[in-house]
Amino acid sequence: MSETAAARRPKVFGLVRRLPEHLTIWLPLLLAAGHIVSFSLWTLWVSFTPSTLLPEFGWVGLHNYTAVLATRNWRIAFDNLLLFGSAFVVLSLLTGLGLAILLDQRIRGENVLRSIFLYPMAVSFVVTGTVWSWLLNPGVGVQKFVNDFGWMSFRFDWLINRDMAIWTIVMAAVWQSAGFGMALFLAGLRSVDTDLIKAAQIDGAGPFRLYRRVILPTLWPITVTVVVIQLQFAITTFDLVRALTGGGPGIATLLPALVVYDFMFQRGLLGRGAAAAVLMLLTLLAVLLPYAAWRHVQARQAARA
Amino acid sequence: MRDTTFTPGRILIYLAVWSLAAAWLVPLAVVMLNSVRTAEEIVQTSMIGWPEHWAWDNYRTAWADFCVAQTCAGIRPYMLNSALVSIPATIISTVFGAVAGYAVSLWRFPGDRWIYGVVTLGLFLPQQMRLLPWTIVLRDVGLINTLTGLVLIHSIQGLSFTTLFCRNYYIAIPRELIGAARIDGAGFFRIFRRIVLPLSPPILIVTVIWQFTHIWNEFLYGVTFTTGQQQPVTAALIALSAAVADVPQHGVQSAAVMIAALPTLLVYLLGGRYFVRGLTAGAVK
Amino acid sequence: MTNLRRRTVLAGTAGLLAVPHQSRAQAVKPRLTVISQWTSGSDGAAITALGKKFEEKGGIWQHSPVPGFTTEMMNKLRAQIMAGDPPACSQLKGPEIAAWSKIAATTDLDAIVAAAGYEKVVAPDLARLHKPGGHWISLPLQIYSTNMLFLSKRAMDKAKADQIPVTWADFNALAAKMKAAGVTYPIANGGTRPDDGQKFEASLAGISPTAYRAAIMNLDETALKGPEVKAAFVQVRKIADWMDPNTAAQHFSTNLKRFVAGDMGMMIQGGWAQGVLLNAGYKLDDFIIAPGPTDNGKPVFLLNADAFIFWQRKEADLQAGQALMAQLVMDPAIQTMYSQITGSIPVRTDVDLSGPGWSDGQRRTAAALKEAVASNQAVLSLAHNMAQQNGVTAAMIDVITEYVKDKTITPDEAASRLNEAVEGSH
Repeated sequence: MSETAAARRPKVFGLVRRLPEHLTIWLPLLLAAGHIVSFSLWTLWVSFTPSTLLPEFGWVGLHNYTAVLATRNWRIAFDNLLLFGSAFVVLSLLTGLGLAILLDQRIRGENVLRSIFLYPMAVSFVVTGTVWSWLLNPGVGVQKFVNDFGWMSFRFDWLINRDMAIWTIVMAAVWQSAGFGMALFLAGLRSVDTDLIKAAQIDGAGPFRLYRRVILPTLWPITVTVVVIQLQFAITTFDLVRALTGGGPGIATLLPALVVYDFMFQRGLLGRGAAAAVLMLLTLLAVLLPYAAWRHVQARQAARA
Repeated sequence: MRDTTFTPGRILIYLAVWSLAAAWLVPLAVVMLNSVRTAEEIVQTSMIGWPEHWAWDNYRTAWADFCVAQTCAGIRPYMLNSALVSIPATIISTVFGAVAGYAVSLWRFPGDRWIYGVVTLGLFLPQQMRLLPWTIVLRDVGLINTLTGLVLIHSIQGLSFTTLFCRNYYIAIPRELIGAARIDGAGFFRIFRRIVLPLSPPILIVTVIWQFTHIWNEFLYGVTFTTGQQQPVTAALIALSAAVADVPQHGVQSAAVMIAALPTLLVYLLGGRYFVRGLTAGAVK
Repeated sequence: MTNLRRRTVLAGTAGLLAVPHQSRAQAVKPRLTVISQWTSGSDGAAITALGKKFEEKGGIWQHSPVPGFTTEMMNKLRAQIMAGDPPACSQLKGPEIAAWSKIAATTDLDAIVAAAGYEKVVAPDLARLHKPGGHWISLPLQIYSTNMLFLSKRAMDKAKADQIPVTWADFNALAAKMKAAGVTYPIANGGTRPDDGQKFEASLAGISPTAYRAAIMNLDETALKGPEVKAAFVQVRKIADWMDPNTAAQHFSTNLKRFVAGDMGMMIQGGWAQGVLLNAGYKLDDFIIAPGPTDNGKPVFLLNADAFIFWQRKEADLQAGQALMAQLVMDPAIQTMYSQITGSIPVRTDVDLSGPGWSDGQRRTAAALKEAVASNQAVLSLAHNMAQQNGVTAAMIDVITEYVKDKTITPDEAASRLNEAVEGSH
């Protein structure tokens, strides 16, 4: 503010000189952030309009929101997201960690095993969802297979059970993405300081104590990354449900992403679909903002210490 | 290094890990078996079963023969389309993501945290929500019904992932290294080229794998923003799944699924080793 | 969307400029850009055959099939419309024709339709859908009935039954008889959303076509709360109870093996099920096709018609292509060709189905249509998006499919939820 003109000139000159650098930094970031912000604002705008097949001007206030909130579809989808989101994130985290610990036991064929647990990530959800719909269908899949072996009373019919069907999606989703957690955790386990492990072993720590007290605590940062990736997976899950349950039985396994698409495009009610999308983003922010605030406070404390 | 003694405990571990692996392979096995069964056989028996007649023909039909409306060329041409979109979009989003990740992790500039936060938020926007805005963008830049349009979409959307991955990786690079280089007079690009890039192969392979598989498997934009012969391979796969009024062609479809999944499976198999290493370095610190 | 409007205006001026050019090039080669979701199977084969005919007449056929659900096809259409580049012709059906015709300009086909004398040979309810605002802007292509009754010969033999059920009471009696005779599941339907919708619409229209028209087509509140709707839900529950609970959301083709083997007895399906059975390797004498049950004894026809809408284009070759396409779609020979490939029946009520290319099922369907039109019992299918716009349809199917899958919902509850769904969808 109190800079003199003479001092400012080199600064301007420096800016020009560093233009390519600024462009390289800002162009991709602005494109990425710009499309996210503008698309979100656009959706927010549409959610207040009477748009049906095409976006159109007009103002209907909160009508779209009240209409969406009044549907059973939204309520079911929202409850499902809470259940599916938490169950899936926790289970895929634990499965990934379990697989990583197993693979970390210096076993033969680790490369093959790692590929086996990772391969589902390479395949599209439409395909895996369809295959799981066969496997989990009691009439053709696992249940029939076991029944045909003579265990007639065996039941595995979650797919046709309204209360349990959401768990089939959890299962398929964990199967598909646990390999990612495994890869991360395995990498983390491999980078734990060997001196630390040796010291603990000299102290007489058994394998369980070793993991609990020495190794697992070092995995905390990885866990955060895995949770973020799995959380985005949970929120954007769409094709998997469409192929596996089609949202059924009835409408028991809807998720918000499906409701958004359904309202926007299948029903031709863009305004309502946009309102559902905004509600979904608000829910997400309600989860993420406290986390960001917590990180911020932590960073400050760390800086002070 | 490998432990060769077989204590009961180790036998248990082997048993656990291989039975899990077997369970993991079941869906793949089902698709592989169906890929050599005829559609009639599948409808007349069950979706899951051992082939009575080995219909190897399914693969030929899937590769070069089956018809999507009037075009009977199998999935071959569509594989090429998918490659034409996936490869450039993967490269572009990886390069820019690396630079952006480098900038937000190792440099301070006004608004860096905010913009990084917004870019990360992009991970959570469902595809479906972005469909119409992209329609408007593609219309205004005149790229509707072009593969270039798809490349544009995936390059920009992919930045959220690539920036996140690269930023988390680069943040582990010791600041002293960068500081020393700056004292020696190295600038933004020089430091990137001389210090950061040589450390990057693991994370770049990770982002390449991630981006490639996601773009390859994408369907919604693929069918909306292309026409006829330009459609990606996922569109051809869906075209094989029957309408209400038809017998599902599960046999040929499964064969097509196997062929269409080959590139991504290969990428995972070949890159899987680096995938594990790459994620290590980034996530640890 | 200011941008969109600006583009429309620009397109308009471009069109004006093109006029002299157009009249000069009268001998332009007709060209047609088409969007449909018909990619594979008999649908794909039929539209490809139509394209061949178009090319034989000297046209250039540019078909872009959009695989997936109808929604994906509509996304594609929307993108093209927003880009100011609609296809000359696209697949669209039912009340969506009226809705979509409001967002972009369409082609007036009145002159071509009048010249062909076509209106006389189309069922009135069907004609109405294709001329919203009083002008023909779209043309139906083929018709299915969604409430045909398919009977398994072997299940009939098992139950020692030789009478085709006419009323719902007959139907229920036969199902009970089959069950008693060891047919594990008397009903072989699937569990997809349209399939569940079909169970309901067949029940209601069979009980009272008048109530169906009032409640479902006209959304009359009294009719929606009326006894017929509740009775229909009671009938749907019976059907659901006779089905394999494992069917979940599966396509009905999953059950075909057990249906033909006599382990399952009956299906309420569209005429397309015949083609599915034959394509799966079964024979015509494995099953019987009859009109769906009706309590007044006269056939009720639940209409499902595929159609093309024609979008306004200024290019002379596309306009010529639209005219050629319209003529082809109305042509009895073309309709015959098309229906013989897909298993549907022609839109024209004056096509003779006695020839060898037609099946008994198709003849019965055509006869049922004629009779139903005469007795005013041809109504529009809800499950296949013919009766209401998609927003209303989807909200109603939500209620129906939940009711089919959840046996704790009572028919009374279902009826009041259906009414709420209709109110909430506006």
